[in-house]
Amino acid sequence: MTAVPETVSDKMPDPVGPDDAACDEAVSVVLVDDHALVRAGVRTSLGAAVRVVGEAADVEQAVAVVHEQRPAVVLLDVHLPGGAGGGGAEVITRCADRRDVTRFLALSVSDAAEDVVAVIRAGARGYVTKAIDGAALTAAVVRVAGGDAVFSPRLAGFVLDAFGTAGADVATTDDELDRLTAREREVMRLIARGYTYREAASELFISVKTVETHVSAVLRKLQLSNRNELTRWAADRRLL
Amino acid sequence: MTQATVRPVLLRPPRGRWLGGVAVAVAAHLGWPVGWVRVGFVVLTLFGGTGAFVYLFWWVTVPTGDPHDPAHTQPAAATRLVRRQPLLVPGRRLPVTDIGVGVILVVGAGLAVAYRAGARVQVGWLLAALLVVGGLALAWSQLDAGQRRRMSQVAGGRTPVPVLAVAGGVLLAGAGGLLFVGQVTGRELAPAVVVQSVVVALAILAGVGLALAPWWLRLVRELGDERVAREREAQRADIAAHLHDSVLQTLALIRTRSGDPVEVARMARAQERELREWLYADRPAPGESLAAAVRAVVAEVEDCRVGPDGQPVAVDVVVVGDAVPDGAADALLAATREALVNAVTHGRAPVSLYLEVRAEALEVFVRDRGDGFDLDQVAPDRFGVRESILGRVRRRGGTASVTSSSRRGTEVHVVMPTTRERTGDSSA
Repeated sequence: MTAVPETVSDKMPDPVGPDDAACDEAVSVVLVDDHALVRAGVRTSLGAAVRVVGEAADVEQAVAVVHEQRPAVVLLDVHLPGGAGGGGAEVITRCADRRDVTRFLALSVSDAAEDVVAVIRAGARGYVTKAIDGAALTAAVVRVAGGDAVFSPRLAGFVLDAFGTAGADVATTDDELDRLTAREREVMRLIARGYTYREAASELFISVKTVETHVSAVLRKLQLSNRNELTRWAADRRLL
Repeated sequence: MTQATVRPVLLRPPRGRWLGGVAVAVAAHLGWPVGWVRVGFVVLTLFGGTGAFVYLFWWVTVPTGDPHDPAHTQPAAATRLVRRQPLLVPGRRLPVTDIGVGVILVVGAGLAVAYRAGARVQVGWLLAALLVVGGLALAWSQLDAGQRRRMSQVAGGRTPVPVLAVAGGVLLAGAGGLLFVGQVTGRELAPAVVVQSVVVALAILAGVGLALAPWWLRLVRELGDERVAREREAQRADIAAHLHDSVLQTLALIRTRSGDPVEVARMARAQERELREWLYADRPAPGESLAAAVRAVVAEVEDCRVGPDGQPVAVDVVVVGDAVPDGAADALLAATREALVNAVTHGRAPVSLYLEVRAEALEVFVRDRGDGFDLDQVAPDRFGVRESILGRVRRRGGTASVTSSSRRGTEVHVVMPTTRERTGDSSA
């Protein structure tokens, strides 16, 4: 829906760009976190490409604000009070009717695999930790608004751990949900090594768009895979 | 603060006991010699059996435990609430006294039956009473959960000992009851009457049991609920204690040094790392996890090294898989450490570390976003990269490479075959 300028979609958007012109095109964002201090910090660190239209501190507030404001992106903490106790994943589930308008990006301090898997499987388009700097977070929000997935190195590490790194266990067709293709695994490994999408693209001699396609495919597998080890793996593996 | 008169708690210790440990417990509690207490019990028994009665009473009511355990004497706030279970309870390997008591009771029962059948002696009353009391004591001793745990540990898990003891106690008490009845009525007990009375007794017991069952079930459930609540409370207290110990102290330090941003950043990073480890990690034993070893190396580099601008540099760690470290892993760790030090001190943040553990190889990437350097330009006498990283890895049969460019920073890539794969390898 929101037209994303190609320059912003790249790695480093200018956080202090001319905001008078960008105001209409700025991505509308709702911040959901139970700590007011964190919301304030995130709000000030976000660049001009992003406009905060609402905040919420618990599950009920979040669901109400999302339905009212219809933001393009919701920055969502994994652990939230209220509701049925489901936290961020519950917010995503209860906002399922807004899925064609609103996309969710999980923002958490948690390293626990079960948190990551729960919120991704509920439908979040990415997972970043709160240690992320303002420019990278802004870029991530814009990327999610454009329909792409955002994988931090850590999330890529989770994926590799969950789907296995053994060379023989490779998907041969794209619609196989339980295994990664060789290319997807290469992309995941580069992201886990700290490469940006653009660096990964030039390393593999493919376009940034192709990298984004691969990452989105991996996200889809993470969300839809029936691989029942995935949930068990996450529950067993409290260790990052 | 006068704490001269802190008495050990009245608990029956698992070791040093002759019978039920009551004498040892009393001696420890009062600070008297055990021998005197034992003599006291024997002497008191001569006066109408008082000593024996008191002994039995305490045997039933005083729980087992170590009276000198500091957990009982320290104030509750100063102790770790979630106490670690001892791996093996020191004490006797076999419940000798329990077996002894059981044997005595069985012999007594046999004698009573013999008296009933043959010679009539006036001690019949006494024996019957002893039988009932002994049987009940044996059954009741099973109420003591600590003792039961000890027994099951002695025999290695689930044992028939408690069940046997209860069954034996019930049997003995029943036999004693029948003897009593025979004594009172003064007639021989015909087998038909015995069967009849047993059936009647069982029927009454079943009726009473059915009537009391709901109450008993509720009691059990409440007990379970209470135990869960207590565990949760203990866990919460443990977390609170940890927060107090480390986090609050770090925060206080940060406040006092708020003028020194470098130091504050370093402390915050160290505290974050520690808290993360505490919350999310499995806390593996030392030497069992390569992932934990890598994290320790990262922690050391983060704490002790600063970047070229004097600022501490955070390292982004991603680990996939885990293994028990071996010789190859040690070389890998040493090379990783060297690469990290180089990246932190000469490169530019963010520094990334990626470790992948596969069945056939360990693979590490260390990357920084600095201006890069040309390996050929480094003077041969500079030991760093050439010797500490490349040489060390190659000697262990691994491969290492450094790619560096001014645009993309420097990346050190180390591959170390695992020991299993290198069994046929003769080169050192």
